[in-house]
Amino acid sequence: MRRDMNSDAYDVLVADLEALGRGLPGPGSDSGLTLAVMDRLSRAPAAVSTPRLLSERVASAFARRRRQVAVAAAALLVALVAAPPVRAAVADWFGFAGVVVRQGESPRPNDAPPSPTLGTATDLDEARELFAFEPALPEVLGPPQAVEVSADRRVLSMRWTDAAAGAVRLDQFDGRLDYTFAKQAPGVEFTAVKGDFALWFDEPHEVVVLAPDGTRRTETARLAGHTLIWEHADGSTLRLEGDLTKARALEIADSVPTASP
Amino acid sequence: MESGELISADSDDAAVLARVREGDRDAYADLVRRHAPMAVRTAYSLGAGSDAEDVVQEAFVKAYDALDRFREGAPFRPWLLRIVANETRNLHRGVGRRADRERSAWRRTEPLLAGGALDDPAAAAISHERRAEVVRGLAELSEAQRQVVTCRYLLDLDEAETATVLGWPRGTVKSRLHRALRRLAQVLADPATEQAPAGGHAAEVGHEA
Repeated sequence: MRRDMNSDAYDVLVADLEALGRGLPGPGSDSGLTLAVMDRLSRAPAAVSTPRLLSERVASAFARRRRQVAVAAAALLVALVAAPPVRAAVADWFGFAGVVVRQGESPRPNDAPPSPTLGTATDLDEARELFAFEPALPEVLGPPQAVEVSADRRVLSMRWTDAAAGAVRLDQFDGRLDYTFAKQAPGVEFTAVKGDFALWFDEPHEVVVLAPDGTRRTETARLAGHTLIWEHADGSTLRLEGDLTKARALEIADSVPTASP
Repeated sequence: MESGELISADSDDAAVLARVREGDRDAYADLVRRHAPMAVRTAYSLGAGSDAEDVVQEAFVKAYDALDRFREGAPFRPWLLRIVANETRNLHRGVGRRADRERSAWRRTEPLLAGGALDDPAAAAISHERRAEVVRGLAELSEAQRQVVTCRYLLDLDEAETATVLGWPRGTVKSRLHRALRRLAQVLADPATEQAPAGGHAAEVGHEA
């Protein structure tokens, strides 16, 4: 029986196959696999260097991070300078401290921001037990009004009401591992928090929480307003969001104590 | 994936590869981290089963050792995934005849596709019944047809990447994909054809390299 289907039916079939593929598992732990590979390379007859002590490797990993940030910054600068607006659809991605940023089109203005999906409401004490990092508390904001840890414990979110800016939200997550957030923004600006590289998003942009394997969870896409992203001293990444001026955002960021109590 | 993401990802890879070639072995960790999720999914989808992570580890080590044979400027991902595919095939090398090897690969992949990741939101995009139906359809394909459908749709590779990963000419990818989809559509449209001897099936096997 030869029965060619119409193209709609093929589209459905292809979409189902793609859905099937998205259910395929990824690595149990990305960093575990990376460590295993790097460990094997270090034990192989050294092509470029002799096996090194763990402490040296850690030191070099930190040096590499700095380089990565520099490379990302350079890549973005190139993208900003070189990409004419008509090429906006040809997205430029770059990664920084657990955030992948895509220079894309601005979201349609009539897209109503859906409320962010958040995990169980909790308090600071419980958050300290659930979450891998000491919560970063900007001194100028005082104690948070709401504290939430995502169901997978990857993101700690806190909320305040700022006298000037209204609702302010701070997300904290491990910036050393895989990308946790993806952002699509028409433009970003480089700035610094305590002398370290930071990103300022002045315009509304799409933000997506990524699954641990780096795939997009489109249902988590939402619009975000003014946002500042910077690396905290303990290796976590902080993401401050609200109706903020850049000056106020930097002021809040600067008031996060460097040393965890 | 949009072409923009690929262009950007490729140029990132090239920058990291250049550093690795200059002797910065640690830079390779960036490539491993970036491509591990896709490499593991590829291994699972092509029949590595519980050995998927070991296969991928082996593939990354082999890729590193073979970097001097990697053509500068070529995309890294399909080249890596081809090594993953070869390593996955090697897993089943001990199994007697080719037909048995192919069956043993599919036996490892089938439950993963039929079950789907429970916590994966994408799993909700397809009903349980439909999932089971499509997996049954895949079981009806020849191994070559299944591989091309796996690379092109399950793993969402483009046609050129699929050709590289499977080591086939582009035209072969195109024609096998076409036949595979048509066969799949037939099986799904009419469950009775599942039992019918598949002419296309036999022809496919004959062409396989």
